[in-house]
Amino acid sequence: MNILATVLLICGLFFFFGGAVGILRFPDFYSRLHPAGKLDTMGQLSSMIAMALYAAQDLSLNAILTALKIMLIVAFVFITSPTATHAIVDAGVRAGLLPWSRGIRRGEE
Amino acid sequence: MKTIALLTVLAIGAFLLYGTPEFPAWGDPQAPAALHVSPYYIEHTIEDTAVPNVVTSVLADYRGYDTMFETSVIFAAGLACLMLLRRYQPKTQETRLYRHVPTGITLRIAQGGKIPEASDEFERIDSQWVPYDLIVKLTARLIVPFAQLFALYVIAHGHHSPGGGFQGGVIYGAALILYAVSFDLRSTFRRLSERTAILLSAAGVLIYASTGFLCMLMGGNFLDYGYLAPLLGGDPVMARSHGIFIVEIGVGMAVMAVMVSLYYNLASAGRHDEGL
Repeated sequence: MNILATVLLICGLFFFFGGAVGILRFPDFYSRLHPAGKLDTMGQLSSMIAMALYAAQDLSLNAILTALKIMLIVAFVFITSPTATHAIVDAGVRAGLLPWSRGIRRGEE
Repeated sequence: MKTIALLTVLAIGAFLLYGTPEFPAWGDPQAPAALHVSPYYIEHTIEDTAVPNVVTSVLADYRGYDTMFETSVIFAAGLACLMLLRRYQPKTQETRLYRHVPTGITLRIAQGGKIPEASDEFERIDSQWVPYDLIVKLTARLIVPFAQLFALYVIAHGHHSPGGGFQGGVIYGAALILYAVSFDLRSTFRRLSERTAILLSAAGVLIYASTGFLCMLMGGNFLDYGYLAPLLGGDPVMARSHGIFIVEIGVGMAVMAVMVSLYYNLASAGRHDEGL
């Protein structure tokens, strides 16, 4: 159980790291939201599952309830995080921001 | 005049900096604040109030006055925002815009024209109408009830875990604001009108203060919940625990209503129309 939790936690940290790098490195608003939305959701999913596994180790009622609460957080972030990303992208489209393409350099329109 | 103000600020800043080294070190166990009242609170909370969370018992019982006036400050902030921002417009609107939902056609109805009956087909809009987003709306619908439930849990569970009236009230207000953001202000007014929000915020402070006066009526000091034991049943210690809970409900109501009323005024620039 411990090993599984550690592996999942490292996996989640890897996704978080990728997300942070992506936010810094990607060229424009829309493509930056891609790592922000996807990788952070995935990172929190696996690291939270790791915490739930770690908490539910001794199989007492308290520990299982804690694990269930952590899983509830996972479920809600899994619903809300992509929705937030969607809303931000939507706002960008409505405000008329053009996506980045090869011809246009950063900062120019 | 500006130089005088600048000199005053600089002088006060210099005095404050001069006084800073006299403070006890951060987290010093020998600091005066840690020597006199804190050990008493930590050692006697359970036997005095039957509340496991020391923070809650200090907040709502040992220093109940402080929290009562904090709640009043929040209430006053809500009132001040209302008075500064709220713009009352005459009821007789010149023209109104209605949108026919199935076709997306906007109708402009001049003064004296026939206004469509309230139904799902027509919705009243203002000039800046932005198409709603189905995904955001559905997610808000899913999340809001859970957020409200969690807010009530935070208020009720403040005795045992971090939480209490302020935090729970803020979460409850945030749930309503999420609803208002993803739908619009008019549909939020149908759930919680401006009038109800202001009345609730006043009622929250009233609950707090009247609990204090009730203690005086029962023969104790102001906010000395132990004297409520004959009313609440149980011994004075449990009565203090219940008294804290009553007060937390008042705080939660006030904070929730003030949050929502602040949002109403800020989001629509005081006009209380469609909002953001």
